Amino acid sequence: MSLKNLLRAVLGNYLFKRALRAFGIIVAASTITFFIIRLMPSNPIEIFINQMMSAYGMSYEDAKAMALALFTIDLDKPLHEQYFEYVTNIIRGNLGTSISISPGTPVMNVVTAFLPWTLFSVSISLFSSFLLGITLGMIAAYRRGGIFDRVVSTVAAVTSAIPGYLLGILIVVFIGVRFGLINYMRGAYSAGLTPGFNLPFIVDVFLHLAAPFTTYVLSTWGGWMLSMKANTVAVLGEDYVTVARAKGLPEGRIRTQYVGRNAMLPLFTSLAISLGFIFGGSTLIENVFVYRGVGRLLWSSINARDYTVMQAVFLIITISVVVSNFLADLIYSLIDPRVRVGG
Amino acid sequence: MIELETKGTLTVNEPVISIDNLTVEYVSPRGVIKAVRGVSLKVYRGETLFIVGESGSGKSTLGLAMLNIVPRPGRIAGGSITYHIDGRNVNILDLPLEDQRAFRWKNVAMVFQSALNSLNPVLRIWDQMYDTIESHDKHISREEVYEKVRRLLYLVRLDPDRVLKAYPHQLSGGMRQRVMIALALLLDPKVLILDEPTTALDLLTQKSIMEVLKNIKKELGLTMIFITHDLSLAAELADRVAVMYAGKLVELGDVYDIFYRPRHPYTFALMKTVPKLTSIDEELYPIPGSPPDMANLPPGCKFHPRCPYATRACSDVEPSEEWLTPSHLVACHRHRDLSLRVEAR
Ligand SMILES: Nc1ncnc2c1ncn2[C@@H]1O[C@H](COP(=O)(O)OP(=O)(O)OP(=O)(O)O)[C@@H](O)[C@H]1O
Ligand SMILES: [Mg+2]
Repeated sequence: MSLKNLLRAVLGNYLFKRALRAFGIIVAASTITFFIIRLMPSNPIEIFINQMMSAYGMSYEDAKAMALALFTIDLDKPLHEQYFEYVTNIIRGNLGTSISISPGTPVMNVVTAFLPWTLFSVSISLFSSFLLGITLGMIAAYRRGGIFDRVVSTVAAVTSAIPGYLLGILIVVFIGVRFGLINYMRGAYSAGLTPGFNLPFIVDVFLHLAAPFTTYVLSTWGGWMLSMKANTVAVLGEDYVTVARAKGLPEGRIRTQYVGRNAMLPLFTSLAISLGFIFGGSTLIENVFVYRGVGRLLWSSINARDYTVMQAVFLIITISVVVSNFLADLIYSLIDPRVRVGG
Repeated sequence: MIELETKGTLTVNEPVISIDNLTVEYVSPRGVIKAVRGVSLKVYRGETLFIVGESGSGKSTLGLAMLNIVPRPGRIAGGSITYHIDGRNVNILDLPLEDQRAFRWKNVAMVFQSALNSLNPVLRIWDQMYDTIESHDKHISREEVYEKVRRLLYLVRLDPDRVLKAYPHQLSGGMRQRVMIALALLLDPKVLILDEPTTALDLLTQKSIMEVLKNIKKELGLTMIFITHDLSLAAELADRVAVMYAGKLVELGDVYDIFYRPRHPYTFALMKTVPKLTSIDEELYPIPGSPPDMANLPPGCKFHPRCPYATRACSDVEPSEEWLTPSHLVACHRHRDLSLRVEAR
């Protein structure tokens, strides 16, 4: 009994240590981003002034007056004071207000307007890609050397070598333009519709998802497929698989419990790590399709040098990556008995 | 120390397996490797047959072929393996896949050479026992399975409560080997094949596994086929011994014939590699030369490059198998004119 308690204490301690380290990484990463963001050339006010001047032909003075009236930020404060303010605000749960993308709106509101779309599109794409990859990878491994294997492996290697945004552009050009579907390749839903839980809107959302989904899946399934194939080939050569056949187990049981489980183990770690990117979205793909996601928000906030929004997005990405790495370890220790901490 | 314990010849000569002209090959980048080249062999009910020979001579491949589970890139290129069980003659190579599946382990089970990697790392021992029985008998209850598994684990001297909950990596090599032996006995197979059951283990564990195996032989009376380098194990347990060289049987006979009256120069050389206890500093005679390259076998008798008695004929023509007595088979051109003498030990 006391051994069990001791074990629990050690395990608790281990988790505590891990959590502490994760917290440290988040603090360090967000501090670094805070300063790097401000080291970037130009600043939100200058960019705004330039935009006003070039878009509306305003004079520099007029544009500057307008900027000062609109923006509440004081960029002349010393950096360390700004940082101190940022930290105290965060501790209070306050991410500040957007500087230039949507002046005065709380950053939290800006982010929550974009985040669900990224969560929705990337999680569907990620799981589809993963399932497609491991299924085809396993089939290819079982038929290694055959036509199926050769075709699928080649296609996988080629598609994963092409950058995602390029695939996106190809889709826009060859499918969107050619078949007149370009309207479904802009944004997350059609301009005229009001979001709500009704059939026309939901159908519209999925039609808009099709292109970014295809792009994302095309550019990532190959990686899953090729590693699943390699793992499966390796596992198929293991003695316990021959033993399973000798034992007279049904083929289905061998495929799932003996081959599949062992071949998938290493992939779960990568999957858990990829989960982190569900929150970050893919900037390039979201940009090609003008999709309302976090990746696109990041892009526009960088262009406008909207410091507070950038900070918030980087913070979200950092937290989700750190947390998902943590989860990856945890999941791995749950599914692989060899790395389990306790009995 | 060689000391023959078993009482050689069997009275009932009723075969349980007839292997006929079996050929197994591996397709490798270096060419086709014929690991088993036309082996014909009968295994008799209740006997303990040893298959011995140097590394690479095709012993494990022969064992795997008996269950028709030679893994890729290997394939059975010819011959037949007929089981005579329950009054039926079944060539396992001809059975439909589903019947093969049902046939394996129930009739013939095997403890693999690599027992340490024979267990699925992500399943508990209990699950790997249970799925085996369940695949052959859908209606059996968990209690019946547990009772059976428990009995077998006691037989191999393991503590069921401790072992069944464990994952393979939590068990020592010796324990895993015992688990594999218990697993092989789970469906009361008629034939049990044991591929190097003691080689990967330390001396002490080897001894206790050997005790377990002797005990099994005594208690269960099943047909056992041992595949091994370990001639002292053969001396203790074998009824008959088959000697393989380069994928072929070169000699087959009861344990006395093989140990005391070998007629093939290779068997003779093999016997001289066994240490004797009579004098400690006596020389050991390793077999000169090295085992043949299986991808590139010499012409004629495959042993002739290493044989001190080789003649022209030996390098030209591969000798055919000849029965010297109804139970003693040899494949050597010179078996008539050689007198190979092994001193009594
Ligand atoms: N998977 C494989 N691919 C190619 N060749 C193989 C394969 N497995 C075995 N062989 C070849 O087949 C021959 C016989 O191998 P096998 O394992 O049956 O020998 P063995 O007598 O059991 O040897 P050992 O005593 O080392 O276990 C060897 O020459 C080996 O190189
Ligand atoms: Mg072997």
